[in-house]
Amino acid sequence: MKNILKITIALAFTILLSSCWSDKTKPNYQYMPDMYKSVGYNTYSVNPNYENGMTTQLPVEGAIARGQVPYDYPNTNEGYEDAKLNSMNPLEVNDHNLERGEDLYTIYCTVCHGKNGEGDGTLVQREKFLGVPNYKDREITEGSIYYVIMHGRNLMGSHSSQLTAKERWQVTMYVEQLRNELLK
Amino acid sequence: MKSVKLHSQLSRLVVSSLAFLLLFSLSLSAQQADVANGEKLFKANCAACHKLDKKLIGPALLGVSERRDQDWLISWIKDSPGMIKSGDKLAIQVFEENNKLPMTANPHLSDQDIIDILEYTKGEEVVEAAPVAQEVDPGVERGKQIFKQQCAACHKLEGKLIGPPLLHIEDKYEADWLKLWIKDNAALIASGDKLAIEASQYAPIAMTAFPQLTDQDLDDLLKYMAVGDIDKMAPVAAGTDNTVFKNPSFGVLPTLGLTILAFLVLVLIVASTTSRKVDEDEESTGSMLKMLIFNPFLRFLTLIFVLLGGAWLLFGFLWQIDVNEGYQPIQPIAFSHAIHAGDNKIDCEYCHSSAKNSKTSGVPSANVCMNCHKSISEYNGELFGDYTKEDLDNEIQKIYDAVGWDKENLAYIEGAEQKPIEWIRIHNLADFAYYNHAQHVTVAGIECQKCHGPVEEMHDMYQYSPLTMDWCITCHRETQVDLTESGYYKNIHDQLAKQYGVEKVTAAQMGGLECGKCHY
Repeated sequence: MKNILKITIALAFTILLSSCWSDKTKPNYQYMPDMYKSVGYNTYSVNPNYENGMTTQLPVEGAIARGQVPYDYPNTNEGYEDAKLNSMNPLEVNDHNLERGEDLYTIYCTVCHGKNGEGDGTLVQREKFLGVPNYKDREITEGSIYYVIMHGRNLMGSHSSQLTAKERWQVTMYVEQLRNELLK
Repeated sequence: MKSVKLHSQLSRLVVSSLAFLLLFSLSLSAQQADVANGEKLFKANCAACHKLDKKLIGPALLGVSERRDQDWLISWIKDSPGMIKSGDKLAIQVFEENNKLPMTANPHLSDQDIIDILEYTKGEEVVEAAPVAQEVDPGVERGKQIFKQQCAACHKLEGKLIGPPLLHIEDKYEADWLKLWIKDNAALIASGDKLAIEASQYAPIAMTAFPQLTDQDLDDLLKYMAVGDIDKMAPVAAGTDNTVFKNPSFGVLPTLGLTILAFLVLVLIVASTTSRKVDEDEESTGSMLKMLIFNPFLRFLTLIFVLLGGAWLLFGFLWQIDVNEGYQPIQPIAFSHAIHAGDNKIDCEYCHSSAKNSKTSGVPSANVCMNCHKSISEYNGELFGDYTKEDLDNEIQKIYDAVGWDKENLAYIEGAEQKPIEWIRIHNLADFAYYNHAQHVTVAGIECQKCHGPVEEMHDMYQYSPLTMDWCITCHRETQVDLTESGYYKNIHDQLAKQYGVEKVTAAQMGGLECGKCHY
């Protein structure tokens, strides 16, 4: 009888184990969670120490991050005109920058502006966005391209949170190259 | 004189009315021909900022030609900044009314183009617009259905599945041959057809015969294969070598079954061998069960099996602690990766933009959502899951609620409280293991899908890989490092290659297995 009991226990144990993580919407068991969970606050974790309850806080107004170069053209029409005429690409035009610009353009711009900048990206073809201009139809300079990536314009939003300043200039360089090819 | 004068008056009247009629008919015919053109031009040039029925960046344009003079509109559309500068009162008024946002000049549009656009803004239905969609042969659509029902289990248009890719297959084989092949490939092979024998060697599994397909079906199917999907969504290159990451161990149930079976067989063998002895000693045949229970050897054996089985189960349990493969939490917004990354082909890094420079791939901040969802406020695609269109529109509304956006007026609500969207993180590495996205994405150039699986097909995101240490180092052992473009490290790479006697160094040989690289 004892054996039957043992077998039953073993079977019950098996069933218990096989059902131990059935709800996939909740995370699996952890053994000693102290080893798994960070003591410090994670970037996106809730934080009771701040008023808005978030660990990620906006920088203090006027703060300049290490390595960041402030952009002096305000998000106004005058700022746009000013940037269009006066803002210049600090990067040297070379293969490295253009290649990197192309990579980034493919990630961030192609989906609307199209592979060659003709305004025929996937989202335009699927009619999610309409009226994306061909680069050759617009009077744009390196300053204005950078300005638009930085601040956005009309329905195009700002992409400054997704690209660093250097990356924005690399994209600008590549967009100029595309435009020159389209104008040919 | 009098009569002449009368005549001239009459003729003038006739001539002028004729001219008027001519002009009228001309303009009428021009109008009819050009609404379609106007719509096209509107979509290409104006739709970025204007809609017909409601305000976008600029004002709604339905019936604008009734509100303003046509000549004024033409010069405004061609060069609005110039008009404002020249001091045109109406121009300045329009400028002031619309938040002082200057409208883009469109000098490339001709007068006729603008008249066409204005015609379109009258909002009359475009009759001619339909043929654009109807250029597609209806047979192609039928072929697509047949393909999905009959072929898609083993074939894709692009990329090998079980069978070869079928897009433009007609370039390779003749249509008549293909029809014979699809209907009954076995017969074709048996007939000794050289092409068929060659084709049969593509895969070890013979292709199913489809005698039920009619010639019409096959024609349509071939048309579809020739054209492909019109709004084709090519799957983003999913890692083909995913098998590496599949758990290589046995399935739990078969192993368990085998063990129990082996145990039972053993018990029977022992029982049958020992029962004879018992038979000899005792007269009674004795019940088998009694004998089994009181046989000391069997009890010992059972104990060992139970202990081993228990240990096995215990280890099985311990091994899977905090392995979250398949973890699929319910997110606060029913965001579908399949629609964003799959259908719309938005690059992973568009939203997860910090993957290229930082340790984490980043949860996109809501401003990134708003880059597109400023104008896309309702869902118009194919429905998925159990959601209705209203449900999905509400899901988009959740972003607007979080950031305080008024979708009617297309503006942020002043003073609205912005609150975070509390996404639930799926891929949680234990705190004692270090992982860096930039190293893998930018330096190694690994596709996101290699670890995260076919995200572009997931409506609800789940954890695809186990994220165990075994999984990490298996990949490090197998990944060969591309040394061609790293001039800076060329020296040390050469030395490493020499030391290990290999041409290509794996990540493991470069120190990818050192404990301190990930645990410190």
